[in-house]
Parts: sequence; structure tokens; C-alpha cells
Amino acid sequence: MKSKLRPGEIVAIATLALLAVAAIAPGLLSTLDPLGIDPGQAFRPPSAGHWFGTDESGRDIYTRVIHGARASLIIGVVATVIGIGLALLLGVAAGIGGRGTDFALTRVSEVLFALPGLLLALVFIAIAGPGIATSTIAVGLATAPGYARIIRSQVRAIRGAPYVEAAIVLGRAPGHRLTRTILPNAIAPVFVLATLGVGQAIVWASSLSYLGLGAVPPAAEWGAMLAAGRTYIGTAWWMTVFPGIAIVLAAGAATALGRSLQNRTRQVNR
Amino acid sequence: MLRWLGLRIAGGVFVLWAVATLIFFALRLIPGDPAQAILGGPGSQASPEALAQVRLDYGLDQPLAAQYFGALGRLLRGDLGTSYALKTDVGALILDQFWGTLVLTLAALAAAWIFALGLALWTTRGGWLSDRVGSGMEIMAAAVPHFWLASVFIIVFSSWLGWLPAISVPGPIGLVLPVLTLAIPLAGFLGQVMRESLADALESPFALSARARGESETGVRWYHGIRHAALPGISLSGWAFGALLSGAVVVETVFARPGLGRTLLNAVTIRDIPVVTGVALVSALAFILVTVVTDLVDRIADPRLGTS
Amino acid sequence: MTLSTTKLRSSTLSALALGAGIALMTAGCSAQTSGDGTSSAPTSDAGPVAGGTLVYASGDAEPTCLDPHVGGNYPQALISTQYLESLVSKNTAGEIIPWLATTWTEDADGLGWEFALRDDVTFTDGTPFDAAAVAANIAHLKDPNTASSTGYLAVGKVKEVVAVDDHTVRLELSTPDSALLDSLSQPWVAIESPTALKRSQEENCASPVGTGPFIVDTWVKQDKVALVQNKDYNSPPADAGHTGAALIDRIEWRFIPDSASRYAALQAGQVDVIDNAQPDTIAAAADKNGIAELNAPRPGAANRIELNSSKAPFDDVKVREAFIRAAIVNDGINSLFFGTAERSYSLLSSVEALGLSTPEYFDTDLAQANNLLDAAGWAEHDADGYRVKGGERLSLTFPVSTNQSIPAEQSLFQQIQATVKAAGFEVVLEPMDLSSWYGALAAHEYNLVSAPYTKVGPDVLRILYHSASITPAPSGYFANLAQVNDPEVDALLDEASQVTDPAKRAELYENAQRLVLSQFYVLPLYDQQNHYLHSTAVQGLRAMPTVSTPTFYDVWLDR
Repeated sequence: MKSKLRPGEIVAIATLALLAVAAIAPGLLSTLDPLGIDPGQAFRPPSAGHWFGTDESGRDIYTRVIHGARASLIIGVVATVIGIGLALLLGVAAGIGGRGTDFALTRVSEVLFALPGLLLALVFIAIAGPGIATSTIAVGLATAPGYARIIRSQVRAIRGAPYVEAAIVLGRAPGHRLTRTILPNAIAPVFVLATLGVGQAIVWASSLSYLGLGAVPPAAEWGAMLAAGRTYIGTAWWMTVFPGIAIVLAAGAATALGRSLQNRTRQVNR
Repeated sequence: MLRWLGLRIAGGVFVLWAVATLIFFALRLIPGDPAQAILGGPGSQASPEALAQVRLDYGLDQPLAAQYFGALGRLLRGDLGTSYALKTDVGALILDQFWGTLVLTLAALAAAWIFALGLALWTTRGGWLSDRVGSGMEIMAAAVPHFWLASVFIIVFSSWLGWLPAISVPGPIGLVLPVLTLAIPLAGFLGQVMRESLADALESPFALSARARGESETGVRWYHGIRHAALPGISLSGWAFGALLSGAVVVETVFARPGLGRTLLNAVTIRDIPVVTGVALVSALAFILVTVVTDLVDRIADPRLGTS
Repeated sequence: MTLSTTKLRSSTLSALALGAGIALMTAGCSAQTSGDGTSSAPTSDAGPVAGGTLVYASGDAEPTCLDPHVGGNYPQALISTQYLESLVSKNTAGEIIPWLATTWTEDADGLGWEFALRDDVTFTDGTPFDAAAVAANIAHLKDPNTASSTGYLAVGKVKEVVAVDDHTVRLELSTPDSALLDSLSQPWVAIESPTALKRSQEENCASPVGTGPFIVDTWVKQDKVALVQNKDYNSPPADAGHTGAALIDRIEWRFIPDSASRYAALQAGQVDVIDNAQPDTIAAAADKNGIAELNAPRPGAANRIELNSSKAPFDDVKVREAFIRAAIVNDGINSLFFGTAERSYSLLSSVEALGLSTPEYFDTDLAQANNLLDAAGWAEHDADGYRVKGGERLSLTFPVSTNQSIPAEQSLFQQIQATVKAAGFEVVLEPMDLSSWYGALAAHEYNLVSAPYTKVGPDVLRILYHSASITPAPSGYFANLAQVNDPEVDALLDEASQVTDPAKRAELYENAQRLVLSQFYVLPLYDQQNHYLHSTAVQGLRAMPTVSTPTFYDVWLDR
């Protein structure tokens, strides 16, 4: 039972595998050029020739969604790694340290995090200029506060738990406490956060694109495609619907997989 | 508890100072001439005399340190300075814009809590299908960009059905679409976290013993479950508030609602440094207040923290 | 050339409208998208009715000051057209017509102008309009404390203002200025109450006082400006549709930056007029009952891409020509603008009578582009298919202001990027906010750029292509973005700005334009788009022929 894959997991893994293929070898799934324009074929609804229709320059949206997997997944993963990395550093240190360490680190993190995420992102982009790289870092910075708050809260809750108190009574060294008792228990919610984070980061990046600060056109990136299509939402729904589905699918599959991984480790631990 | 509060307030003041300093220097890293921003605007060409005059008026000709301490001194007196672009007092401007955003974000936070808690309590461990449907809805909701959701709402509820206004109007009716737009993605996020804790809680020994005592499943769910589902939700609320302020930037732009988010976006794009600093300080203050309150509630909801 | 036919049609139409006032205007005009500044609204049989509130939704940034003397941009002009008036105006035939000034004469040497002013006009704060008021306004524009940019340039040659008597004013110039009347017709040089100007700038920005048909009532920042009718109004320009007070009671001026929301609000009936209408919504609205269009291209320069000739690779005219020959523009304009924009081959807007259109320089020809690039030494190709010379890729930086270029225009730039790739050009598009964009231009970090410039009259050529405009202002901004540095062009433009003979002036401007066009400094795209959509309940809407801002003076609501 435990080793068998459930249907939901199979779907999630298949979706992620498909996205991985699209990210690594998009040519296998579509032979068209994602940047190839054809103004005569602009704003065509989905058809046999163009499965997802065409955009304002006559580019094939199916091809662009396939080619967009790479940029979007990289943005999602890298931004999440930056955000959670920062958050783990601050959250765990604050959570396991003594009162003084906690107070100091919590203040430091609050200074960074008291600013709304988008303000950090806007200021960072204003300094460094727009583009995929800067908006990825900006999204990482902007999402860190949420992660740090929940990690710290989790770590502190665990620290007060009986098994940690037991470890203290038993005289375990702080490093041992961290690696053996606190981290394994704190890492579970981080998994959920991280898997959610990938989709969330893609969504954030698309918001920056909407505000004119994200991925540089005409690059095929889901967020940028969504933002570009939004202008034409009343006249060409397909321009927003398909990249939107791609975002939801990617985010959903990653989350579902993270969830079941988490459940499995928990069951093994019990 | 009092000592804890005192420390928190001192910490809050420190954070405000640090935010002011950070923002002051960060904004000066942004390329562009503030004097040009003051005279700025598309299509404008500032004359040398006008630029010189502006540099003198706003003290931009002084050394950076003098500008910094001058700004800090004014801050201590509660003076946020004068907007470069709007030429009005920043404090008054923010106060004007603050209430609209506060109402919007608090309403969205409340709505998100209701959606998330309701869905989590209703569907968690409620059978294979309902759990999947509930969790699927949360995943989808969390993955929807604000600006896209807002557009869909406007198309459906304003253009097609004509039920709700496309742009903000005074009164509750104008709040419906903006609040929904902000609340739904947040509810997805909160819901996922709540579901985790709730599922754990429903399998925990105390839930088992409550069931063994003969309490109904609904009672266990609503009485014991809610506390555990709420715990990470509360701790996330401080963050959620910040996230809502960020979302407000987009939502206020789409629905043409006056508010801090729109003020901030305008100010960053035209390099209106006093306004950006002012909004940063006000939202930092709001964040600190919300954090103190949620930590307080955290302590009450989770006695383990209170006794440690 | 399409210019002359458009002009003909627009002048006939306006002659009709002028002759019979509103009654004929509402009965006679049924043209769709005519590009002549008159609305295509279906007409109503009922006569004008007074009263009602009109809601206007602007997509432009909210002005930071309602007094267009301060700074001086288009959003300010849009709203101040409703409450401020200038000394002169312009009719659709391009002739200067009386407004607050009734007649004027120029000295033989061109160094002095005398204006007779109306003697029956009062500002809405009760201050009388007279020669002293004109002097106070020009002093206000020239005062560095005002920080005027556009208006400051417009009165740049005015040396002294003399009140000859209460209602006669003399402007003494430092050099002759053939563009003076054009300049004075602009809303950025409108006349405000001298009493009100004495208040602090903050107060005057919040509620400027003029002689116009509406009065600024309240301004709720980030939300709306409320304008109310001026009951004692008596000074419409000579081409207005009626006399006396405006017909509507009140205007609510809102700011809705999001184009989809703006259109949705119009559809839902929440607003009556929107500006910055997007091409696809204009096309969609054409099929809808209840929504009509007002197309009013702005004067001054056409929208165009400028090729920075000050540095490689565009310092070589062959490379500039190759780029222009390789860029396919027309297909994109057709599909992206849904027939709402017409390709321009001119430096100037089609509403400028002296514009020169030269399609012959803009034929696309990939083979010729390739030959030119080979001849210019860009003969090798790298692995990505781009041309290289001495290890350098043929790469062009193109900063795009997302505030100034609408999505359709940004898509057009992407199409140009894709088409010139066939000739081996790499175009790097860099979308950025306005301040960063100004920064990139000031730092000369661009090879291609598209910048709008609105000004009444062909004198805009001097601002855009005279070598003096390469020298940056202290702010770093300069208007000659193609960096045309040609003594011959300079001489022609200098002379044109001073001659009084209209025929000679036209010839000089034509020669200057031909020189700039033939050297491939500029790729013209289309007129500066200025489309308004409005509910058909809004009757009698027209754009001022000066800078194409809509005026609500003749408007009435047929609800």
C-alpha cells in the first residue's frame, strides 16, 4: 500500500515529467518557432493548425506555452530557493537560538520583512532594472517574509514540544537537537511552503510583468504571456487562458507531489 | 507579559528607524535625478534655472549625511516631508489614502479567513473526494494572479452580467470585487496550511479521546480542530497583511480605487522619494502592530509558547 | 499622399459644423473614425438639453498639479482645457483664430507683437482679464520658482511684456519667432487669474483659476477632480458651437490607469468618456450600440523610431538604411491596430499642414538591406545568425517606456525586432518605467528609441532635429534623440523659425524634412494616437484643433 503510487500522484508526476520534457527539450513537443511572427495570422482562435490559437503577433501560443516551461520553472524554482534559503537562515536561527539571538534576528528579519514584499521588489527592480534575473531575485526577496514567519513559529512550537524538552533533559548538544529533533519536524511545513512557493513565485513574477517590470518580451514566459494577453481579454480569451492553465497545472502538480512526499515521510516516521 | 510587550515596543521603534534608514539609502541607489523627478513628467523638459531652484528648495544640493539627518530629525517630529510630485504634506496624503486601503485589506483578510477555515473544516478528512476537491480548490486559488482574477471578475460580473461596478464606487457594493480578488488567492494559501494542521489535529490523541468520550464528529471538528487549524493561520496573518498590501497595489490599479497601493506604485515609478519612504514607514508600522497582536494571540492559542 | 484628402474632408466638415452650429453638426456628421477631431456618434433628433454630470475616465497618470504652467504635460492639458483659456486658438483648417485676444499685429522686423484683448471677460474669482493679467502670466511662466517646462519654452523668445493700455498688450521678442502664435495657442500657455497666481504654488496647483467654461471645484487626490459649470462664461473661442455657459452642470474627472477596466466601466455605463482607448476595444466598440469614437491625432511629431546616429553602428548611414529597409512595419500596424492607425511616412503629424510624406524612403527590401550591411563591413554571421564585425555583434539597444508605448506599440516593436533579424540585426528590447527610460537616454544607452513630442506647428522640427537640441539640459534630457548633427539642417530650421513669408517658411521646412528623412535618421510609424470612446449620450463632443484635447463646452447629455 505504502509503496504503491496513488492515482493522484501518478497524475502529478506525469504532469511534472511533461513539464520537465518541455523545459529540457521543447523541440520534441513543438517544431514551431516560439518567436516566429506572422502578423497575417494574429488573434486566431484555437484551431487544428494552432491548438491554443495565436497571439497579437501571430505567434503560436501552444509553442510558446511549451517553450515557456523552462523560463517559468527556472523563475519559480530559483526564486523559491532564494526566498526559502533566506527564510531558513533567519527563521531557524531565531527559532533555536536563545532569547537574545531570537530577539536580535527577529528584529533583523522584521526590518527586511516589515516592508511589503512588492515594495521590496519594486525598489529592487528600480535599482537593478527589469528583466528575468532581477525579477526572480526580487520575487525571492519579496516572498521570504512569509516563509520566515512560519518557519520561526514552527521551530519555536517544536522547541516547546515534549520530545525536545526530553532531548534537553537528556543533555543533547544544541547541534544535535537541531539536526535530530527540530529540523526534521520543522522541515515538513517547509516542504509544503516550497512546493506552493514555486507556483506562487511564477504568479508573483507575472504580477511584476503586468506592472511592466518582469520578463522582457517577446521571451516566452507564462507570466509575461498572461500579462500581455490581459490587454486583449475581452477579444482574445485564449491568450490568457492557456498560459494561466499552465501556471495552475505546474503549481498544482508541484504542490500535490510535495504533499504526498510529506505524508509518506510522516507515515514512515510513525 | 509586560516586559515582553515593552521589549516588543522598543524593537518596533528600532525596526522603524532601520526601515527609514534602509529606504533612505536604497532609494538613492536608484538611477535618476530627484530634481528631474520633482519637475518631471512625460514630455517635460526642465530648464537649468528650474532645476537649480528645485535643488535649493528641497535641499538636494546638501551632502547626503546632512540630508539623512535632516530627514531623520523631521521624522522624529512626525513630519514625513513634502511629496516631490504632489507638492503636499506626505503625512496628510498617506492619512487620506490609508483608510481606503485599510478597509480593503481588513475585509479581504476576514473574507480569506472565512473561506479558508470554512473550506478546511468542511472538507478535511471528510472522505476521499471532498478532501481532494477542497485541496484542489485551494491549490488553484493560490495559483491565480490578482490582476488576472480581477480581469475575469470585471468581464463576467460587470461587462456580461452587469451586476457589479467595474471600477470602485463609494459604499460596500464597490468593495465586493476588489475584496474577492484579494481574498481568494490568500484563502488558497491560508487554507493549505490550515488543512495540514487540521488533519494532524483530527488524528491526534486528544481528538481520539474526545471521540472516545462520545463527542460528536462535528463537535471535535469545530471545537478542537479550529484551534489547531487557526494556529498557523494566525501566525501567517502578519505576513498575510503585508501580502495584502502588495496585492492592493495591483487591485487598486485595476479597480481604480484610491489607496496606499496605488500611491506607492506611482511614487516608485516617478521616484517620489518622500512618498515611498512614508508609505514604507506606515506599512512597517502596521506590520509591527499586526505582528505584536498575532504573537499575542499565538501565545494565548498555544500555551506552550506562553510558558516558555 | 493621404494627408491632403484627410485635410480636405476635415475642413469641409468643420465648415459645415461652424456655419450652422450644433444643430447642423448633430444632423450632418455620420462618418466613422474620420480622424478629423469630430466624433462619430450617431446623432439625436432632440435638440441640446442643459444639465447633468459627465464622468470622464483618464488612462494617463494623474497630474501632480492642475496648473499646466507648472511642468506642462499632456494629462495637464487634457483637464485644463476645461477651465483655462489661451490668447488664441486654432481652427481645423490650421488657421489661428481669436480667443481671449481679438486681433493682433506683428511689427515689420518681427521683434514686436501687439494683441488687442477682450474687455468683457472676468476670471472666475472676479479678477478682470486685462493686459496686466497677460503680463503676470508670462512672468509666472518665466519664473524659475514655477518650474515650467513646456510653457517656458513656448515663451522663450519673449523678452518683455508691455501693457499699452488696459486691453492692449505688446510682446517684445529677442529674435523673430514665426511660431509665436502657434505657441501661444497651446494650453500650457493659458491665462490664469493674476490674483490666484499670487497664492502659494500648492494652492494654485490644487485650484487654478481661469476664464474657462468650468471651474475646479474639488480634487480628491488619487481619485477624482470635480469641475462645475461657470455660469457667467462668455469667452468661447471663435470656432465653438454655441455661446454663453456650458450645457452640462458638472464633470467628474477620474483616473483609471488600467485600460481593460476603463473600457469595462464605459460599457457598464459608469463613465461617459474614456481616453487612451486601445485598438482592439475601438474595433470592438464599432460594432456596439451606445459607444462612439472620437479620433483626434495629436499635432507635432508623428510617432516614430529614432536611430541614434551618434554612435556605432548607426553612425554609418548604410546601416541606418539597412535597418529601415529590413523592418516590416505595415503588416504589424494593420493587425495590431485594427485599422485605427494609418502608416506615416512623415516626421510630422498628419494634422500639420507643412508635413512632408516620403514613402519612397521606406520601401522594405531585405536584399538591399543585406547588400548595404555587407558594404558597411558587417559581412560575417555568428552562430545565432546575427551579423558581426571585428568580433562585435550587430546589436541594437532599444529602451521602451511602458508608460508611453501602449501594448500594441510594444508588440509592433517586437515584430520589428523579429523582421530585422532576417538581415542579421539583433534588437534588445528593454521595457522600463519612465524615470529609468529618461535615465537610459541621458546616459546615451540606446541605439533605437521612440519618444512622443506634442507641440503645435512645424517648429517642433527645430526642437527635435536641430543640433542645439543634442546638448542636454542639466537634467540630462535632450530632444534630438536621433542626434542629427547637420549644419545644413540647422541652417534651414533656424531660418524657417524667423521668416515671415509663409511660402518661404513652408519651403524651408520641406527641405529640412527631406534632408532628415533621406539620411534615414527616423522610421516613422503613425500619428500620435489619441482615441476617445464615449457613450452616444454624449453629444457635441469635439477635440480642440490646437493639441487635440477634447472640450466639453458644447457637450450635452442625451440620456
